[in-house]
Amino acid sequence: MKRRPGGEISSRPLHFIWIADCSGSMSIDGKMQALNTAIREVIPHMRKVADENPNAQVLVRAIKFSSGAQWHISQPTPVEDFNWTDLKADGVTDLGKALSMVAEEMKMPPMSDRALPPVLVLVSDGQPTDEYSKGLSELMDQPWGKKAVRIAIAIGEDVDEQVLEKFIGHPELKPLKANNPEALLKHIKWVSTAVLKSASAPASQSDENSGNYTNVPIPVPSNNASISSTDVW
Amino acid sequence: MGDIFKIGQVIQDDSSKIQCKVEEFLGDGGQGEVYKVKLGDTDYALKWYFPHAATPQQKEILEQLIQTGRPTKKFLWPIHLIEQQGINGFGYIMELRPQNYKSIVDLMKRRIEPSFRAVITASIELTNSFLALHTRGMCYRDISFGNMFFEPITGDVLICDNDNVAVDQQSANIGVLGTPRFMAPEVVLGKAKPSTQTDLYSLSVLLFYMFIMHHPLEGEKEAAIKCLDLPAMNKLYGEDPIFIFDPTNHSNRPIPGYHDNAIDFWPIYNQDIRDLFIRSFTKGIEDSENGRVRESEWRSSLVKLRDSIVYCSCGAENFYDIEKIKQQGSLGECWACTKPIILPPRIRINNQIIMLNHDTKLYPHHIDDEKMYDFSYPIAEITQHPSNPSVWGLKNLSNEKWVCKTTDGTIFDVDPSKNVSLVVGTKINFGNSEGEIRI
Repeated sequence: MKRRPGGEISSRPLHFIWIADCSGSMSIDGKMQALNTAIREVIPHMRKVADENPNAQVLVRAIKFSSGAQWHISQPTPVEDFNWTDLKADGVTDLGKALSMVAEEMKMPPMSDRALPPVLVLVSDGQPTDEYSKGLSELMDQPWGKKAVRIAIAIGEDVDEQVLEKFIGHPELKPLKANNPEALLKHIKWVSTAVLKSASAPASQSDENSGNYTNVPIPVPSNNASISSTDVW
Repeated sequence: MGDIFKIGQVIQDDSSKIQCKVEEFLGDGGQGEVYKVKLGDTDYALKWYFPHAATPQQKEILEQLIQTGRPTKKFLWPIHLIEQQGINGFGYIMELRPQNYKSIVDLMKRRIEPSFRAVITASIELTNSFLALHTRGMCYRDISFGNMFFEPITGDVLICDNDNVAVDQQSANIGVLGTPRFMAPEVVLGKAKPSTQTDLYSLSVLLFYMFIMHHPLEGEKEAAIKCLDLPAMNKLYGEDPIFIFDPTNHSNRPIPGYHDNAIDFWPIYNQDIRDLFIRSFTKGIEDSENGRVRESEWRSSLVKLRDSIVYCSCGAENFYDIEKIKQQGSLGECWACTKPIILPPRIRINNQIIMLNHDTKLYPHHIDDEKMYDFSYPIAEITQHPSNPSVWGLKNLSNEKWVCKTTDGTIFDVDPSKNVSLVVGTKINFGNSEGEIRI
């Protein structure tokens, strides 16, 4: 017998998408394997963060790009069921194609009309070989693409940081630089825990962050007056 | 995987020479990591701060908390400060939370199904604990899902993460602002810092979540928001906070399909509790200084709410509500099986009406309003006649005799450990007060 009526408290979906560079250069110095290991390592932490926040229903996906782009894990998967399949490196860096495909998924439908801000994490070690700006503008044309928290992780020294900065689209937020596997793991952990937490807003807000004015309180000092508090759509 | 310590590592405090051995990584948060450690033969928890959180102010707060000591045994309070040369920052030792205590998150996700009685008991203990904390001039500053735990069968509570506790109006400029959805509107708007007054708001949000399984401000206005991001949350929880059951402002009612828990739970409780929620989220928002419901008010109404539980024949708990009976002549239907609710015998003592269910116990405060709420020693309990189970009685568990009077005027004594039959109209003189059995 049910002892009390009703169900779980109402929650909103929070889409988390890994956008992973699988170009041939990722095979050099074990970068591809370091990324695979880092993501595997943080999944339990991600589950824990999601578990502690009953207001969000965290759904994870991954897209890979090299010569062209393909959904690596195509279904929005509840984080408790999410398992990583290793990526393999080969080909060029068609970032634009990947962003177009993410843009398609940010349309309504398939996106629901009520959600928490999506989190898009771009991990790359090189320079785009296709017309990335077309894909980026398609993404930014979608309300959910614009509202998404966009984070970029630059692996190694050969990254075109300007491209990553354009993807982030926020003057105060810079790409996170990972020059070794430890730094990569640290950044991957940060996005899949601290950023995920902020996007669903369950964590204590500490005083030092109160100056932030992004649409999601990312735990990095920033200032964005372009988003007004009446921006409820 | 902990980043700070390795399993088996021994940590020794430089000044007290207290030694503990790291046994298990328990978890991490924004401020630091928590480990299970062994100190002598006993298991404790050790929280160690990340460098950015290991501030002199935090250390000062900890030293003060350790010196003051816990307000009640419900708080898992810092016991020892630990610093060791060669390890960055500092940490503190506290008692370990037993595994059978579950978080409010488990309640929200329906991973535990406590009875209404257990949820109410937990609420009584929470209000009592925060009253004790506030009475000491301290405030908690981050009342939310993550820090409160309770035993789902008994409702016994434990309050964790006490290292944000600070003296009210002092240390206000450092540390946490609170957890979104729990922060008082004036804190969301940046007009106030966390204090005892803002704790009262957060406590009422927590109680609403526990009772209604929903947020008090998430109605039509929340349903209209597509992307629930920081600006949207600031508007909903700060700039334009409208209670979903505001009796005069109907602009933010819960929407079927989105806010079903609110619609299902709200009518079940008695008007007394609903009135406290209404005040919390109307006057309590308009007037943060004087409009909020105090813990003692919550406690007194919650105790009455627990006394008003009635069991339907299907087993579901419902609530006696004198206002409803006055309005419609009956308690209406059971929320679970929709059959009419049949009332058990009741006892009226002064202005209290207590349902006499198979498991009812009376406590000292029931018969003497000078007595504190203490549920460890009942003074009476419901019993069944040993040879005739259809006869129910009230057993005297106190050390004093009761003097009873039947409707025909017969007077008789009920000595300690004896029973008086539940007969309508029988009056029981407990010494300081008199009760009357009713049907």
